[in-house]
Parts: sequence; C-alpha cells; structure tokens
Amino acid sequence: MIEIKNLTFSYLKPDGTQKSEEPQLSRVNLEILPGEFVLVCGPTGSGKSTFLKTLNGLAPSFTGGVISGQLLINGVDYLGREPHDFANLIGYVNQQPEGAFVADTVLDEIVYSAEQLAIPKEEIANKVEWLSKLLNLEGLLDQALANLSGGQQQRVAIAAALISGAKILLLDEPTSALDLDGATEVLSILKKLAKEESVTVLLAEHRISRVLGSVDSVLVVHGDGSVTKGNPEDQFNDARFAPPIIELGQRLCWKPLAISNAEANKRWIEAPATFEELSANQPHDLVLKAEELVVSFGSVQALKSSSFELFGNQITALMGDNGSGKSSLCWALQGSGTRTSGEVSVLGQDPRDLSPQARLALLAMVPQRAADLLFLQSLADELHESDEFADVPAGTTASIFQQLAGRIDTSIHPRDLSAGQQLALVLALQLVKDAPVLILDEPTRGLDYAAKRALAKQLKNLRATNRSILLATHDIEFVAMVADRVLTLVDGTLVSDESPIVALGAGSSRASQIAEITATPGLITIEQVKR
Amino acid sequence: MSALLTKPTHLLSAGRTHPGAWWLAGISLALSASLSSNPFVLLGICALAMLTVRLCRDESPWARSIRFYLILGLVVVVLRVLFRIVFNLADANSDVFLRLPSISIDLGFGNSLHLLGAISVLSMKAALVDGLRLAAIILAIGMANSLANPRKLLRATPGALYEIATAISIAINLAPQLITSLNRVRRSRGLRGHSKGIKAIPGIVIPVLEDTIEQSMQLAASMSARGFGRRGNRTTKNVLITRITTFLALNFIVAGVAMLLISNASQLIDLSVLVTGFVFAFISFKLSSGRVNRTQYIVLRWQLGDVVVLTLSALVLISAFAGVFA
Repeated sequence: MIEIKNLTFSYLKPDGTQKSEEPQLSRVNLEILPGEFVLVCGPTGSGKSTFLKTLNGLAPSFTGGVISGQLLINGVDYLGREPHDFANLIGYVNQQPEGAFVADTVLDEIVYSAEQLAIPKEEIANKVEWLSKLLNLEGLLDQALANLSGGQQQRVAIAAALISGAKILLLDEPTSALDLDGATEVLSILKKLAKEESVTVLLAEHRISRVLGSVDSVLVVHGDGSVTKGNPEDQFNDARFAPPIIELGQRLCWKPLAISNAEANKRWIEAPATFEELSANQPHDLVLKAEELVVSFGSVQALKSSSFELFGNQITALMGDNGSGKSSLCWALQGSGTRTSGEVSVLGQDPRDLSPQARLALLAMVPQRAADLLFLQSLADELHESDEFADVPAGTTASIFQQLAGRIDTSIHPRDLSAGQQLALVLALQLVKDAPVLILDEPTRGLDYAAKRALAKQLKNLRATNRSILLATHDIEFVAMVADRVLTLVDGTLVSDESPIVALGAGSSRASQIAEITATPGLITIEQVKR
Repeated sequence: MSALLTKPTHLLSAGRTHPGAWWLAGISLALSASLSSNPFVLLGICALAMLTVRLCRDESPWARSIRFYLILGLVVVVLRVLFRIVFNLADANSDVFLRLPSISIDLGFGNSLHLLGAISVLSMKAALVDGLRLAAIILAIGMANSLANPRKLLRATPGALYEIATAISIAINLAPQLITSLNRVRRSRGLRGHSKGIKAIPGIVIPVLEDTIEQSMQLAASMSARGFGRRGNRTTKNVLITRITTFLALNFIVAGVAMLLISNASQLIDLSVLVTGFVFAFISFKLSSGRVNRTQYIVLRWQLGDVVVLTLSALVLISAFAGVFA
C-alpha cells in the first residue's frame, strides 16, 4: 500500500541552508501493508508528527524543509506532490478537531472533501449513509459541531477524512485532548475500521497502553533520523516511551513480552511478583481551605458548592472528565478567576484580595498552556524578568530552575526548550517566592513517559519542602505515580476524596494499567513491583 | 409581526435565511444612507440595522460583532463633529451655535491657520449629518456581517470567486479565535504579574500571534489535505486567466460603484467602468464553470424569509432613489 524508499527529510534554517544537525528523517525504508493497523510512537519531539506529515505532503508543503527519496502509494511515486493531490488516497486527522473544522454543522463538515473532489451527489449521499452508520453519527448530522463532545468531534473528523474514498488514515495523537471515555470511543472505532473495513491506519498516540493489544505493528520514530517498524513485542527497548505493560514485562523478564492486558494478566497469575506497599505520606499542617466554593458563567454552573482542605507535604490529584470544572476550580483558588460565592483562605489570607506579586508568595500556578507565560527572547531574560517582578535577589529563579531541570545554556530561546523544560521553567517562575501551595492544570499533556517520570520526581522534591500540590489532570498513570490523595469532580460536584490505591486500584473504573493487569489490591504503579 | 419576530427561530432568523439576502439588504441600506441628507432618516437607518440584528441574530460568534460596528459608528460621528469645531470655517450668513476663542497659527509664507472661533449652526448640522451618514453605512454593513454566516456564504459563492471567498472566510473565522486566545493569554500573564506600559505588549502579543498563525496554518493544512485547491481537469492556463479576469472584474466593479457614488464627473464614464467590470465577471464565471471541479452537495435555497428581507430592502432602496429620504 505504502512503500517508502530512502526517505530523507530535514528542516531548513531561516536563511535557507540545511540545519547542521541530523535530518529529522534519514534514509527511511519501510513498507506498510493494506489494512495494517500501525502504532507510531517515539519520545516527545522525535518527529512522529513530521513523519506522518511527509506521507501526505503536508511536510514540506506546510512545514518547510527539504525531502528526498521515494514515496510509493499503490506503486506510484507521490513524493513532492501537494497535500490536495493525496486527498482521495489518504485521510488526515489531527489533535484538535475544532481547529481543523471548515464548516459549522456535522453534515457540511463530512461532505467537504467529497465536494472538493467533485464526487457525484448520489455517491456522496451513499457514503454519508455508510459513514454515519459506521461511526455512530446517525442522529448527529444536523448538529452544530460546537455542541458536540470531543469524542464525537473526532468521530466526525474521521468520517470527513474517509469520505473521499481514502483507504489510508493518518491520525496525529487524536485522543490527546480527550478524556477517558472520549479516547476509548475513538480508539475502538479505529480498531473497527482496520478490522472490518480494511482501512490502513497509522496512529501516533501517547496512550499506548490502550491500543497496544490491537495493533498489527509498531513503528518507532527514534529522533536520531531513524525509523524502525516491527512487532509490538520488540519495539520498546527505549524506556522513554515504553508503556507500563511493557515495563512490567521487562522488569519481570517475560519472554516474549505481553502486549495485551489479558495476556499480561495470565502471566501475572502464573507467577505473581512481590511488591512494596505504597508508603503513606504524612501530611503536615492545613495550608488551604475552600468553603462552599461556587463558580458560574452566566447560567452555567461550572463548579457547584465545593468545600475541601489542602495540607502541606501532600500531592492531591483533582480528577474528572473534560468540562467537569477542574480548570474553573483551579483559577477560582488562584484568585484571578471567576468566583461566584464561597471562601478561599491560604494561611489566613484570601488570594482574591491580593496583588499578583503578593499572590506569588501564597499560591503558584502553572496553567494548561504553560508556554503562554513565556514571551521573552532568551532564557536569561525570562529568569531576570522573573527576579525583577517578584523583587527577589538576582539569580533566585535561575537556581530554582537549575534544581528542576539541570544546567541549561541560558542564551537559548524559550521556544526551543523541550515541553518538559518549558514546564520546569514556568514552575521556577511561579515558585520564585516559595509559595506553600502549587497548582498545576493538566501538566502532562504532550509529555512522554520519561518526561512524566522527571516531572513526578520534581513534584516529589517540591512536596518534601512542605508544599501542598494540587494537580488537575485526567492522566491516570501520572496520578498513580505521584498522588497521595485523589479528589474527583463529576459535573462540577466533588464526589469523592480517596487514597490513590482506592481511586485507581483494581476494580475501579479508573484503574491504572498495572492495577488492571495484576488485579491485586494495593498495587497501582510499576515502581512498586520488585524485580 | 412583532409576535412573529420575538420567537427564538422565526421566519427571518439568521439560521434560516440565506446569507446573500442579508448582504443585499445591508448594501441597499448603505446605499440608501449614502443618498440621504436627512438626519432623521439616517438615524432611522441606524436604528433599523440595530433592531434587525437584535431580532434576527443567532448564537454564533460573529453575531456579537455588531457592538464593534456601533462603537465605530459613534466614534466616526464624534470625530466628524470635533474636526468641524477645531478646523472651523467661519460662515457670516448663519447663526452662531457656539462661540469659542479663535486661534491663529502662522504657517509662514504669509499663510495662517485659523482654529476654533465662532461656530455656525449650519456647519454643525452639516458635520452631524456627514457623521451620521457614515455611521449608518457602517451599521448597515455591520448588520450584514452579523447576520450572514460566512461559512454558508462560502457555499453559495460561485466558482470564480471561491478562492477569494475562502480567504475572507478564514479571516472572519479567526477573529473570534483571536479574542479567545487573547483572554486566555491575558489570564495566564496575570500569574506572572502584568508588566506596566509598553513592556506589557510583547507578553500578550507574542503568544496570541503565535496562536493565531498556528491556528490558521492548521485550518489551511486541513483544507489542503482534504482536497481544497485541486484544479480538477482544468489547465494551469485556464486557472491563470480566470484569476486575472476575476481580479479585473472586482477592481472595475468596486471602482465603478465608488465613482457613481462619489464623483461628479459624467455618469456615462462611471457606468462604462461598471459595465466593463460586469463583462469581466461574466467571462471569469464562464471560464471557471466551464468544467465541473467541485460538487455542491448541500445547495442553499432562497426561502420565503429571504424574499421578505429582499422585498423590504428593495422598497427602502427604491424610496431612497425616488428622493423620499432627501
């Protein structure tokens, strides 16, 4: 179906010369069969997106850069063609469906590509019927796209990509902005497409653990220019992106590795390993108290009356689906967001009454898009500006940043830092006044397992300095790694306050992968398992 | 009629009408305004535009844009009056409306500039009418922009104008997104504290610009990956000639309309420019629709509500040409 020969791709410097470093993709040779379900993985920033984009001309058309080699689709070399020449062969779906929508309503969006390709009306009508059945969109065709859930939106995007008659589907992290239900919904559709409709699926995905059991092969973009493809069992030598199930297999020396939960469960029951109990972390004094907190936007109540307390030396996870009110709660606590009624007190002071400078001494917050806080031309400027604003001795921010991220050349442009380093920089900017409370809103989006482990370590170090950390997220594996306590929000109401062992343990609807595999009470993370 | 209009979706609500109908209505209101010098008629047109938006708009992001047009209109009126007061032309034949101290500035070479002084009632009235006329035109166009769904308009665009319409529709779609990201970035920036004065600008502008460019690239990439820009079986030469004739047509039509409205030169010249524009438009339509390269799966049809809108706006325009509003 797709055959790649000697494919080389590199980005160009602004002056038009090739970057001196290794090309993004260097002499890649591989073949993808019709109806194959391929999982594309690799560490953050290794070039997974770039690789997918070279397959339908988006790279270099929309990214810049130079490409060479051969890209054979059904035997015809398509290298160097414009993306629209691929439209009837390859469908493309990206992370944020709402950013790529060209229409207002579901039907308009789905037929767009067919209209561009001048497919006759009767044929479009038949395809709409087929796709709406296949993707469960039957009742939604007249709906406005803006009123759909994230999972429904992604299903519309998939239908819109397939209507042109494409038998190859490229998906660039289609579930990264979705909550658990939305992601499950989309991934099960993809399995169905590959199995029943023999669509060739290339899926770049961070939630590897959920799909590994159903893919035919795994393609790894290593980041040094090389790309390898092979069986799921032997593609995960690089621990930077190995999911918990693979790590478990490696730790227990399973040969071959188990790739589906059912198989791993069988192996575990045959020979269960011993594991350490999670050591209960002793919380210190009360630092934050929220009483009957309500946040409304117009007639919508984003957060219904909620009361809770946060303690020093504790990491609290705030979990809930998209739209359950996590962000509203974080911003209301921080003081600059909307608070309709209720009280917040941090060591006796209400953050809402304070200036931004004074707030920094009480509460630090890292928003969902951490990079929004960065705007200067170099790392040194950012660190300097932070010292000046917080009115602390020069070098304070720099030393915090160094503790978090290690030594980094300060002449670098902040946009050239990795996602994990940017996060560490924003953490440092926010912690410059040694605030006792730290709030992080969805910090793990776009981070691979290695970057998540690094962040987990940083947060545990920060906790040890008697801080209270609140972590709004739906990343189950990350919560299993760090949290001491789990609060759950459902539709704006706090419904539970549990230990992670209960919240993420075997039998829970949010069980971590290790808990699901081992079905052992008290075991939720790979770190507990003894070799 | 009022009972009909107050229902959430009625015959004339934006979701049920053809976007083209609103643009034609807006243009005829604007034309009527440009033909009138009666301040009450002009105020009436402003009120009509505002009221129509109030009664017919839906929840879409562009429906809220009428506020900006209203502010712009008010600014225009105020500026127009202020300019007339500052750069006052003394008029001995009219009553004095306001007596201000006169300032003369020597510009050298024997010329001097007179500012302020005795301001006559007539010049005040003329300034007010000028300002109101511009405000009425702005609000009429604002009405069309608030009620016409740009994406639907794109569907109804003939093939020759399709590429231009796409660019416009991408630009319109980006405006609400710009406001969303502006709010998000300002809130995030608050965490680091707002720098004061000119230093605050890069902190807001850089992330917002980055967002907007990223977003428009993403939309463009998505459109391209889904076949937008395919030429079908048209040759490069055909595409090039079509683009040139479309470009010429648009320029001639705009120039023709502007000359008709502004210049006092021979109407024959104005009309011939306009007619040349229409000839080019016809050629480009013929060239581009000669071969099918796009399907219209969902065809927008003109409904009863559209006929009502068009009839009403035609009546307004005819009365304006007949001199009823003079």
